[in-house]
Amino acid sequence: MDKPSGLLVRSHCVGTTAVVYASDYLNKLTGERIERECRRQLNCGCRALVIDFSDTKLVNSIGISILLGIIDVAEKNGAKIAFSDVNSQTVQLFEMLGLTRHVVLAKDEREALLTLSGFETTPIVH
Amino acid sequence: MNKAGSSQNFRRVLAQVDPSEFIGRAAQLERIVAHATDESARRGMLGLMEPAAGVSELLRQAYDRIFNQQTEVIPIYFEFTRNDTTAVSAAIEFLNTFLQQYLAFRNDDPSILHATLTLRDIVARASMQDQQWIEALVERYNELRFGKNDRELVRFCLGAPQRIPKERGRPFIMLDGAQLAQYLNGAVPLGTEVLRVFGRGTVSYVLAGLRRQILEAVRDAECNVNSFEYLHLRQLEIIEATLLVEQMAHRQQVEISEMARDLLVQQFGGSPFFINMFLQTARKKAVNVKSKLDCGDLYVAELFGGHLHSYFENLLEEISPRLNTRLRLIAVLWDAVSGKDAISSVETWAQRLNIDAGELAEMLPRLHMYEFINWDGRYIQTGTEPQTWKDYLRIRYQLDVENKPRALVYGEVLSDVLKRAQPTKHSAQVNLGKIVSRFNCQQVPEVLFDYAKFSLNYKGEEPETIASSLDAETEFELPQTVYVANCSSFKIELPPIVDDEHCVIARTFKERRYSDAQEVVWFVACLHEKDAVAVNVATAGKWCERFKALGSELKFHHYQIWLISNSGFTDEALAVLKDYEAFSSDSQQLELLTSRVGETPRDPMVHHSEPSEFRLEMPFGEDNELVAAGTVEQIARRLPFRPDAINQIKMAIVEACINVFEHSFSPDQKISQRFRLESDRLVVTISSRGIVPTNLNGANSRSDTTEAAEARRGYGLILIRSLMDEVEFEPVDDGTSLRMTKYLRDTAS
Repeated sequence: MDKPSGLLVRSHCVGTTAVVYASDYLNKLTGERIERECRRQLNCGCRALVIDFSDTKLVNSIGISILLGIIDVAEKNGAKIAFSDVNSQTVQLFEMLGLTRHVVLAKDEREALLTLSGFETTPIVH
Repeated sequence: MNKAGSSQNFRRVLAQVDPSEFIGRAAQLERIVAHATDESARRGMLGLMEPAAGVSELLRQAYDRIFNQQTEVIPIYFEFTRNDTTAVSAAIEFLNTFLQQYLAFRNDDPSILHATLTLRDIVARASMQDQQWIEALVERYNELRFGKNDRELVRFCLGAPQRIPKERGRPFIMLDGAQLAQYLNGAVPLGTEVLRVFGRGTVSYVLAGLRRQILEAVRDAECNVNSFEYLHLRQLEIIEATLLVEQMAHRQQVEISEMARDLLVQQFGGSPFFINMFLQTARKKAVNVKSKLDCGDLYVAELFGGHLHSYFENLLEEISPRLNTRLRLIAVLWDAVSGKDAISSVETWAQRLNIDAGELAEMLPRLHMYEFINWDGRYIQTGTEPQTWKDYLRIRYQLDVENKPRALVYGEVLSDVLKRAQPTKHSAQVNLGKIVSRFNCQQVPEVLFDYAKFSLNYKGEEPETIASSLDAETEFELPQTVYVANCSSFKIELPPIVDDEHCVIARTFKERRYSDAQEVVWFVACLHEKDAVAVNVATAGKWCERFKALGSELKFHHYQIWLISNSGFTDEALAVLKDYEAFSSDSQQLELLTSRVGETPRDPMVHHSEPSEFRLEMPFGEDNELVAAGTVEQIARRLPFRPDAINQIKMAIVEACINVFEHSFSPDQKISQRFRLESDRLVVTISSRGIVPTNLNGANSRSDTTEAAEARRGYGLILIRSLMDEVEFEPVDDGTSLRMTKYLRDTAS
């Protein structure tokens, strides 16, 4: 399990699914760190991504545009992607900007992993 | 910031503004109050006012302070007005005012000041202890009033305060001669009589008015010039004038932008009188001054036919009552101030004005008194007049003498006013106090404080070369500034030769360590030598000595002198500065320093302007949008917004700030925010002085992300429009202002 500190992003892998943890404020700087980590995980052979927002209080529009970039990259790599533990305010923003059309929203990390692993289970959407 | 007094437990008696809003005259106010309360100070104080520098409110503030103290000192304030047609009528008015104010003070009842009382009423309302002397005073007055000796009556009325019995208190007379007309009808010159009466009495007093008029009255009254204390009242320093405009605009409920504010300060040269007049007009006309154009337009309209016009018109009429002569005078004055005849002989003027020696002898002292000219008996010189007067003269000359079309003149003057207000005029030295206040342990090139080395290595180099070479220079760690004040706040009387100079004193600590050993007081002066010559050895030596003396007087153990000059220093001056271990910089060094200091300003400051309005100014970057979001959350909670509405507002603010950070080219790298709470809404206005590209959807973003990511940018505005009820962009000077409104909704909806 990778657990870097400082400028790097916390992440770990469950099988072929990488779980990447977003920080408390998702802006350009922290968004780009997540993007790099997601690309790294995909390059290492991961087939699915979970971005966990349990620590995230606020996502700004630059953060959202970076998330859209990650969704693009994941799609191009044939990887599934889920967002877990997103607060209601952020869900509202994602809906406004259409992110929810491209991504699964899960209640928590466990549910996201479950959804992505089987993909038969209907994800619980906030 | 230079504010006078506290408004706590304070009744406003005569003052027109709250003490906390009285800007720029704190040192002078303290001196007047100290003069009043010092029992041993039996001599007079002369307030020497530069024209339009304002004195009335200063005296009224002093009055209120003394009135509220309710000690044995009895304040008496009297304003000579232009309505006084003779010295006798002015003196009678003085007697009435004195008695009424005495009664108000003794009863500790300000309402008496506003009552209409006859002398008989005053006698009737006087206490037992006062009745006898007041009755005797009124009786004697009635005898003199119907006599034939005007001079005796004037002296009696002016001398009335001396009749207060010792045990009933000590009068302190404040005579406001800002509008004192020396040349009243009749034979008694009032200013001279005032000085004769008070100069020979034992009552403490202040006589304040136009400096040349007051000094002339001193001469005429044959007073000993050394027997007075002098109080100089010049135009406000730029920092204080800026504050005054902000305060006054707020009080008058006039919206004003920073650029308009700066233009106003520049245009009026820091004159509180003109600034007040202008903003009152803006209020009356319900005009907001949101841009340089708004400001310039109202200014020119005022000069064409507003209060400014009437002010100068009245003065010109007083100086030259006959219309034909007045028109010729306007032509002569305009030629003089526009540089054609900056120095002329009295004979030349007499010839051009086509008037006899007697009429000229009446006109010249008046022009000299208002400082429209400098007249030494033989020659007349111009060149130091305020800009407003020059603009007025130009208009009058072009309209009345050249008969140019009004629209043409209006347009020409307006465009010249706007051209004068280019941002380059907003030079770094203008904000000296602000620059020093931003010192916060930044590392800066040492050479920026060493003019000799800088001029040797960098003079004539391209700015880009200088900027890159400076990075290789030895670094110097600035201290952290904890307090900055103008020199006048420390009671430093600046000599007349440094009228236009800027001077601040800053308390700082090295390395943010708050101990005696680390405390250093910075004495900073910005010198403007005339004709762009370098500061010479005499000036440098004088300033160093002045600061050294001040450091010793105020017991500053460690101090640092820093002199700044637009045109540098002579070698001899630099040698002197070395002896004092003083720093030296020219305007280019200061500009470079400003840009470096400006990059890392101190923590953002929140100014509370009124209970329902808040202002926040903060630097770009460092996730500062979160500071704004936190602030707006606290403010929004004052209205019954639902939690999700508050979150939406926060998010919109974050996006608006990011938009500014991303797209603004603001030179000061600052973002201004105003939050206004109304009964049913919160209005947030965000602005920056930088030029925001018209394409606000992010196409011109400076970020270096990939094209695809770039293409997705622009969500910020979509979000703002979705989250707020009203969103409006408004071009302002050199930038854009974004106004966002969120309305309260019923919980049900």
